[in-house]
Amino acid sequence: MNDAAIDDVSLKEKYPPGDLAIWVFIYAEFLAFGIFFLAYAFARSYNVELFNASQLHLDKRAGALNTLILITGSYFVVRAVAAIRVNQSRACVNWLLAAIFSGGLFLIVKIFEFHGEYVQGYSLSSNLFYTFYFSMTVFHFMHVILGMVILTAVMFKARRGGYSAEDHRGVETGASYWHMVDMVWIILFPLVYVIH
Amino acid sequence: MTQNTVKTFLYLRPCTWDWLLLMALTLMILMVAETGLGGRYIVGLLIVSMLVKTQIVADYFMGLKRVRLRWRLIVSGYLLVVMSMIGLAYKLSLS
Repeated sequence: MNDAAIDDVSLKEKYPPGDLAIWVFIYAEFLAFGIFFLAYAFARSYNVELFNASQLHLDKRAGALNTLILITGSYFVVRAVAAIRVNQSRACVNWLLAAIFSGGLFLIVKIFEFHGEYVQGYSLSSNLFYTFYFSMTVFHFMHVILGMVILTAVMFKARRGGYSAEDHRGVETGASYWHMVDMVWIILFPLVYVIH
Repeated sequence: MTQNTVKTFLYLRPCTWDWLLLMALTLMILMVAETGLGGRYIVGLLIVSMLVKTQIVADYFMGLKRVRLRWRLIVSGYLLVVMSMIGLAYKLSLS
């Protein structure tokens, strides 16, 4: 479908890709993270010096690397959906495996980052900045794990030939959740690591 | 580079172009982080880049561009409200 066709309202699909239930869940997750983001931004406006000084200790390169990893993972998931839409189950499985691997890589980088901060003596109770930082990043970390679990379940079903060009709602459901996890990190990284 | 190679490069899938744009914007944010730049204009630039990146993911990766407007509006509206409020909070801290 080209851009002109995409903009034609009559050709638009009635519901977003995947199960409708996952979209209720995704919107609820956006709301929860949105509250976190705004609480952080407004708390910072009352504690600018503390937040700016604490932010200097974060590993910005690790944060950026993790953004690149998650974006690439999202791209792999897009390719997995595109593959199953043309009945290429094997390619779909391979793209999903690549996405799961990128999720694992994200977790490894983040664990190293958490370890570095722990060694330097920072924890949830160090100050208000670190309370926000650890709360948001650990919360997001758990979402990456859940996303990997969902993609793994989808991958196993795809490997058994459970999806086809006609029926691939499960792949789209897992993909939508994974993109939500990616979007949250796209906001979280500049907000917490960069903007001052 | 031969003409065919150039053609092959230019005919990358649209999602591959989106991915490359997202990577480039992330590297731009990293450059800002490395230089330690701050202030009103830099904060504005970063917020706009966050908005552009998340909208690309929503429209082209999630596929909301192909869906009826109401579903897309929920995400776009959410992003606009959150980014505007973040901008407001930083404006308060800069004034």
